[in-house]
Amino acid sequence: MISTFFNHELKAFWRSKNTGKTIAVKVVMGILILILLLYVVALGVLLDVILGKAFPKDDLVVTFCGIILIYFLSDMLMRMQLQELPTLKVQPYLHLPVKRNSVVGYLALTAILSFFNLWPIVLFGPFIIKIILPSSGALVAGAFFVALVSLSVFNNYLAMYIKRKSNLNGWVFLVAFAVLGLAIAGDFVWHVYSLRKLSYGYFGALLTKPYLALLPLVLGLGMFYFNFIYLKGNLYLEELGSRKASAYKSSTEIPFLNRYGSVGDLVANEVKLILRNKRSRSALLMSSFMLFYGLIFYTQKVYPDGFKIFLGMFMTGIFIISYGQFMFSWQASHFDGLLVSKIKFSDFLKAKYLLFTVVSTIAFLLTLPYAYFGWKVVLIHFVMYLWNLGVNTTIVLFFANRNYKRIDLSKGASFNWEGVGATQMLLSFPLLILPYLIYWPFSLLGMPYPGYAALAIIGLAFIGTRSFWIKKLEADFYDKRFKIAEGFRNI
Amino acid sequence: MIEIKNLKKVYAGATVVNVPALTINKGESIGLVGNNGAGKTTLFRMILDLIRPDEGEVLSNGKNVAGAEEWKDYTASYLDEGFLIDYLTPEEYFYFIGGLHHQNKPQVDEYLAGLTEFFNGEVLKKGKYIRDLSKGNQCKVGVGSCLLQKPQLLMLDEPFANIDPSTQFRLKNILKTENKNNGVTTIVSSHDLNHVTDVCDRILLMEKGRIIKDIATSSSTLNELEEYFGVGQTVTPGIIIDKEENH
Repeated sequence: MISTFFNHELKAFWRSKNTGKTIAVKVVMGILILILLLYVVALGVLLDVILGKAFPKDDLVVTFCGIILIYFLSDMLMRMQLQELPTLKVQPYLHLPVKRNSVVGYLALTAILSFFNLWPIVLFGPFIIKIILPSSGALVAGAFFVALVSLSVFNNYLAMYIKRKSNLNGWVFLVAFAVLGLAIAGDFVWHVYSLRKLSYGYFGALLTKPYLALLPLVLGLGMFYFNFIYLKGNLYLEELGSRKASAYKSSTEIPFLNRYGSVGDLVANEVKLILRNKRSRSALLMSSFMLFYGLIFYTQKVYPDGFKIFLGMFMTGIFIISYGQFMFSWQASHFDGLLVSKIKFSDFLKAKYLLFTVVSTIAFLLTLPYAYFGWKVVLIHFVMYLWNLGVNTTIVLFFANRNYKRIDLSKGASFNWEGVGATQMLLSFPLLILPYLIYWPFSLLGMPYPGYAALAIIGLAFIGTRSFWIKKLEADFYDKRFKIAEGFRNI
Repeated sequence: MIEIKNLKKVYAGATVVNVPALTINKGESIGLVGNNGAGKTTLFRMILDLIRPDEGEVLSNGKNVAGAEEWKDYTASYLDEGFLIDYLTPEEYFYFIGGLHHQNKPQVDEYLAGLTEFFNGEVLKKGKYIRDLSKGNQCKVGVGSCLLQKPQLLMLDEPFANIDPSTQFRLKNILKTENKNNGVTTIVSSHDLNHVTDVCDRILLMEKGRIIKDIATSSSTLNELEEYFGVGQTVTPGIIIDKEENH
């Protein structure tokens, strides 16, 4: 029976809409995943060299044993945020004469099929083979592998359990998060204890007493069994699913937008869209992380001014890029309703411009403290803010007319490929290349300031001619709207 | 009100809609019936300019609907949940729709007060987003927002399918009142023959994209339709197969 489930699962993967219909998308996705995998593999293969460089005074094996526990703690943090519960997919089987044990077994087993369970082996495997195998023998190396795999299995099911529990009660998640945070802070902030010593205490002992590998093995299997029992006792959709028990949803108003009339109403709707749906909310959250990029890059002196242009563009305009690239897919689920209601498309476009302007202005204001790194930074931010409002908004909306892919707003944004198509790839070229194309000649001549001026003037020119672009986009939209609406209707 | 000329839509070689000519006059109440795949929804979508016809055109008040905006002023429609903005609360949605027709909040509230019976206490002030409502209650929101627009043309696609019997009864009354008292032209599709023959004065029967019957409702209409849809099930005594003999 479980093999039938796996068969269905494979079909679901290959036949799902977001696996990417076009070959171009598949190729680019494949390359991206391959690059990521290569990085991790390289990291794993070179781990001994890296550790040797980072802790030159310590013994290599001691350092290695010290980091494993820290890795699994951060792994737990990542899992709690990113790992998806393999849940609602069982719905079609629950009412059929299928044994509960098979359904639960299948649920529990597929949870293993997560990329997270691959990382520790790829990361630490090479080190074990290169360093530990020659020095301590096959038995110890085997014990290390058993311990690593068991610990990731343990983490895997603990994260699942916490996530399932937190679906019923949101506090569980916060408590688990706080406990993990305290455990890490106890070492790195308050120095109460040393996680590295703790980690070495166990893995160091493993070097001489390989039978200690049984301890994580028991923990891992125990956690699996515990999960299995829990699932079996709670095989009800509302408890499996990721939908939380909902509180009273109140109607809200954004008074600031009222003065913009029906355009303001449309923006208010879109703000609600962003805040009330999971995927758009996480896109917004990721955009706000971008604001901290300056802290990473401005503190280093090595980056040239040309790079600051991108930094300024991303920090003030990341929302335009990350949210705008999927326009109008965000509204796919009610696009028909928008088309037949009394909304002028020019108003619809003006609302998008207004939304971008508001969010970018907020982002620009938030980046003002970067004045600490010199007023020039603020100047560049302002230039790129104008560029974002003028040029990037228009580019993004131009490509929005060419985006026919529906997206499901209730899924998270991380590692979510739904709605990604050739449009997003094509879109990135003008966004990334254009500002540099303008700036580059000036930079070659050693005149950065006229370069900034040129960028600002072009940005302002586009802002000044917005009504013209709106007309152009509107005409373009009337040409493409049937195709857009049809694409959005395909569930 | 609506004039269809030579309208045709083909998907992958199969003709889904093929209506050479159809005129719907102001104040008529039209019932659209037909089995699954007969082309009802596609016809609706073409009248609402959501699908590009392969041939022909739809005129609304004498003007082609394609690319035009005027018909949106007097046309209200609800085909499926895709017409609702599902992350809004019903109130927010009604205010939004009302705002598009230049109604302020008190006006919207006043109008909604008249629909209290139809909503049956399950739509307003429930503290739920539209996406968390049941299909039947979503339908109530859709129909409510249509009525709020005070349309001259009202188009509903299978409105009776998901709502409870009491609401079906109320909806029928609403449709009759809108049509008879306010002169609203209504186009309603349904699989429930009792409902359409009760509500509509004129029945259009679609089969494989074509309108094969166009009848004014009379006392014999229901029988006529039941005869059509009951194909193959009309049991005549002579050919009943005896279970005992048919092992």
